[in-house]
Amino acid sequence: MSFYQAKNLFFSYNNKPVLQGVNLAIEKGSIVSLLGPNGTGKSTLMKLFLGLLTPKSGEVILKGKALQSYSIKERAYHVSYVPQSTQVAFAFFALDIVLMGRIAFETWFKKPSQADIQLAREAMDRLGILHLEKRTFQTLSGGEKQLVLIARSLAQGAKILVMDEPVSGLDYGNQLRLLETIMNLSQEGYTFLKSTHFPEHALMLGGYTYALKDGHILAHGLTCKTITQELINELYHTNIELKQTACGYPVCIPSFIHTKH
Amino acid sequence: MKNSLLFSMIIVALGASLLISLALGRYEIDLRTLGQLLLWKFFTIGSAPNEVALLSNIVFDIRLPRILAVVLVGAALSVSGGAFQAMFVNPLVSPGILGVLAGASFGAALGIMISDSWFGVQLFSFVFGFVAVLVALGVAKIYGRSGSQTILLVLGGVISSSLFSALLSTVKYVADPYNKLPTIVYWLMGSFSAVDMKMVANVAFPLLISTIMLCLMGKYLNVLSLGDDDAKALGVRVTWVRNGAILLATLLSTLTVVVAGMIGWVGLIIPHIARFLVGADNRILLPMCALLGATFLVIVDTLCRTSMSVEIPIGIATSLIGIPIFVLALRNAKKGFA
Repeated sequence: MSFYQAKNLFFSYNNKPVLQGVNLAIEKGSIVSLLGPNGTGKSTLMKLFLGLLTPKSGEVILKGKALQSYSIKERAYHVSYVPQSTQVAFAFFALDIVLMGRIAFETWFKKPSQADIQLAREAMDRLGILHLEKRTFQTLSGGEKQLVLIARSLAQGAKILVMDEPVSGLDYGNQLRLLETIMNLSQEGYTFLKSTHFPEHALMLGGYTYALKDGHILAHGLTCKTITQELINELYHTNIELKQTACGYPVCIPSFIHTKH
Repeated sequence: MKNSLLFSMIIVALGASLLISLALGRYEIDLRTLGQLLLWKFFTIGSAPNEVALLSNIVFDIRLPRILAVVLVGAALSVSGGAFQAMFVNPLVSPGILGVLAGASFGAALGIMISDSWFGVQLFSFVFGFVAVLVALGVAKIYGRSGSQTILLVLGGVISSSLFSALLSTVKYVADPYNKLPTIVYWLMGSFSAVDMKMVANVAFPLLISTIMLCLMGKYLNVLSLGDDDAKALGVRVTWVRNGAILLATLLSTLTVVVAGMIGWVGLIIPHIARFLVGADNRILLPMCALLGATFLVIVDTLCRTSMSVEIPIGIATSLIGIPIFVLALRNAKKGFA
């Protein structure tokens, strides 16, 4: 019995097939990176995992039960979503956004309790952003916004985080700090399904990698075994060389560098 | 806390404007006499003032029903405007976004043309307010499989508004120009002059309940303003919340047209001012909209009936007052409508 799994998923937008028989299994506490070129269905696959879309056929299984059989609230107790970016048109405080992670625990008449507010602040503190609590969300930098959204997921209490290109738009330092945050949370038992445009980032985090192309899984397995020079070149139509540094860490070297030097 | 102080202040302002509005009019009553009358009538404290029959008639039969209607309509327009703005994640949205005002106006005009009873007019207005929103939802539904639901709803609303505006023009064109047309035109300018206690009694309950329910939906509207995917992933039933809010806001807007005709701008500017005062959190914003809208409309209606020898249609007054306020409110547009 798998922890979190997609079984033979088919999906199409307006009869344009996007996913054609995708199988993907996630173990508890692991980090799964989803690689693939633009428009290959990574976001769609993640939305299917979140239950935001319904597959044409096949199913997503969460803790032994079909995802469809969970109520929308129950689902929110287990799985949370960190979108690529959230458009916030109105001036909410960062703490308000994090507190929205508790909405599944509220009812019409029950306001967020002191305990909920405490949970939200703790989540922010854990990510080192408690000092931002009274800042308006729009005034935050891209990296800070991303951390606020992760804090929202932590406040939500779900142990599985689905992240759509979490580092997109972040500067180099914030990218590395975000990856470190993911690594730390994974060691605390959180499970991650995330898409990325950077094979290097998948390599840094380890875990498992699924390579998606044209609606099919091209390769999958342990990241260090799956990401090869051949795979990257096939996925992205590039010409790179995967080399090992002196300490054995793999790096991608694009071929045009050689022609220049 | 800052917010509770603001709420206390606005409640005091509402109370004061109610008293002043009860006192002012063609027959002016000084506040001392009004106080004496109210205490005697509601709390049986003190003695009845002189000319109690005349005063009672003016205050309780003529002014009070009208002012109650003004309070309810002001609150209803503002709360539905605030809720629509949250739902469409757009601060430029007004209660008419889904065509409800155009539909209700057309209904009223049609009612005036073919029916001689006031009740008939109100019924037509109410029914067509809902029909217009159903047209908007229907248009959105046809293409609803793909793309963003809010954009489709806005487009559906544009189509529905245009349709019912065109139908309204048709009714105006064919209506009897001596008898019916002036009534239609006057109705469309908005007025509380036809309000009596019976009408207030009919609409008070649905207006009050819908206003309160929309206010209670504030936290779900907060989450909805982050976008559908975020809201669903957080465990909110997006379709239910959106349809529920649309239903309540439509009921509120239609009833305002039923009671007082077209009153523009209130539902657009009051949420802006409220947001400026208490921030964007709909849990606080929507109740603030209700109180602020009620106060604003009581003041404007009092001006309308007292400032000139003939009554100024309230729809004209709210537009003339609303536009400069809105220009000022737009200064906040750059700061994320804080």
